[in-house]
Amino acid sequence: MIDIQKTLQNLGIDAVNLGVSTGTEWFDTTGKTDSSSSPIDGKEIAQVKTATLEDYEKVVQKAQEAFQKWRLVPAPVRGEIVRQIGNALRIYKADLGALVSYEMGKVYQEGLGEVQEMIDICDFAVGQARLINGIALQSERPLHRLSEQYHPLGIVGIVTSYNFPVAVWAWNSALAAIAGDVVIWKPSSKTPLTAVATQKIIRQVLIDNNVPEGVFNLVVGRSSVMGDNFLADKRIPLFSITGSTSVGKRAAEIVGRRLGRTLLELGGNNAVIITPNADIQMAVMSTVFGTVGTAGQRCTTTRRVIIHDSIYDKVKDAFLGPYEKIGQKIGNPLTDGNLVGPVIDIHAVNAFLDAVKKVQEEGGKILFGGQHLTGPGYESGNYVVPCIAEAENHYHIVQEETFAPIVYFIKYSGDVQNAIDIQNDVPQGLSSAIFTLNVREAETFVSQTGSDCGIANVNLGTSGAEIGGAFGGEKETGGGRESGSDAWKIYMRRQTNTINYGAQLPLAQGIKFDI
Amino acid sequence: MIDKKITIEDLVDDYPFAVTYLSEKGIRCIKCGEPIWGTLEEACVEKGFGETQIEIFVRELNELNNLNQL
Repeated sequence: MIDIQKTLQNLGIDAVNLGVSTGTEWFDTTGKTDSSSSPIDGKEIAQVKTATLEDYEKVVQKAQEAFQKWRLVPAPVRGEIVRQIGNALRIYKADLGALVSYEMGKVYQEGLGEVQEMIDICDFAVGQARLINGIALQSERPLHRLSEQYHPLGIVGIVTSYNFPVAVWAWNSALAAIAGDVVIWKPSSKTPLTAVATQKIIRQVLIDNNVPEGVFNLVVGRSSVMGDNFLADKRIPLFSITGSTSVGKRAAEIVGRRLGRTLLELGGNNAVIITPNADIQMAVMSTVFGTVGTAGQRCTTTRRVIIHDSIYDKVKDAFLGPYEKIGQKIGNPLTDGNLVGPVIDIHAVNAFLDAVKKVQEEGGKILFGGQHLTGPGYESGNYVVPCIAEAENHYHIVQEETFAPIVYFIKYSGDVQNAIDIQNDVPQGLSSAIFTLNVREAETFVSQTGSDCGIANVNLGTSGAEIGGAFGGEKETGGGRESGSDAWKIYMRRQTNTINYGAQLPLAQGIKFDI
Repeated sequence: MIDKKITIEDLVDDYPFAVTYLSEKGIRCIKCGEPIWGTLEEACVEKGFGETQIEIFVRELNELNNLNQL
């Protein structure tokens, strides 16, 4: 069992913490002091003093000043600092992983996994720092050179959610930093302490390398201080926002009104298709992690399982065994052996119970779970038994994302295209998967007539993405891409250069303009 | 004292009973586990409620709050 007091001590978390920092300096703010409690036992972990509008203004000014200097630091040197941040995270991996687990409620292994993601993206960004490459193009004019290059963009506003309280910051800030940008991070008000701890972990790296104050900024604040005004701030050219479709739409509207950029990673309604050609054992084991991992609170959690009617009963029965076992492993996520921790708070419990009720009202049938757990070990009131419900795709509740461990089993018949059509028939488009050993089905699924999601996997589940690929989705998921691949480009401004190194002035398209 | 300009985040944090009350009116304060952004008034307008109805919601929320404090 983890000694959480020791963890807090190691991470420098006090009873009352400052919530605003420009890197190495912390502001003693006069905003409201908020309490952060653990969903595991309901106990207060510590308090955080939140920002005022004046604090926010100071941070933005500091960030602007820092950008002027940071953009001049060579990208590989910026990468070296990110490398050291990754190493600092390695040192604190166990402690930060434990705090993630305690403040958010995910099992400790997943807390460690979250910190590992932070380390991985730092490693990725170090390499990327030497590969911020434009391209050379062919000019139609003689003695002209046509090329593209990328320049730092400015301040990046990062809004993160409680379910990945620190990894998403790392995805964004590691790439933004090597791109020459500076960041202002608004963490979830449900998980401010992991943000404070992260800022403290990177502090020594910033000191050791004389990083300008204002490159890595943290502002813990409510939406009355860090809300519409933050989004409307013209000094911030890019916002990366992880959250609900509702928040994303609002953000896109406000930022779009001033033609700023947004990188949106919003809701998912992720499905797994299991065809008659699937390795059912593999499909079940993989999908169960996708449905109950992080207590169903991942953006990529499997919300629907679309099963061919010829194997439906067999697959359904195959799921019940693992769910029975998991039902015995719900509890304190810091205890070895437990696989499902609490949901974040009583509101999430109510959303879960509401979904269980609604799916039945619409004609669905509960196959497993759906209860609210009470009694010894569940005193916080935030534990539920993961639910499997038989449903139809058109149900209102199935079309919505319920951020809790409830999965809907849906039958399909005939060709795999019918399953794909069902899968695509939701407003969201984040992650998807198919289990099949048939190459035609697999290729159809990832083809232009296949999954309409940003992520489409074959013979693995919807959740648990690696940092190397671009992460994000289509439709109401927002269209943004972060993390790996070429996601770095959104953090930069692109410039096309035409250089005339000849003595003539030929115009493009052969236009004659003789004066 | 709750008024229509209160942010949903403040409402959720300071008056958690409001989440259930508004949910019964068809207004979801929490999505993806996080409070939605904006004010109570904006959330009501988005769901098609007019000024009179919003005033009733505000009054009833304050009454509930008073009851909770007894």
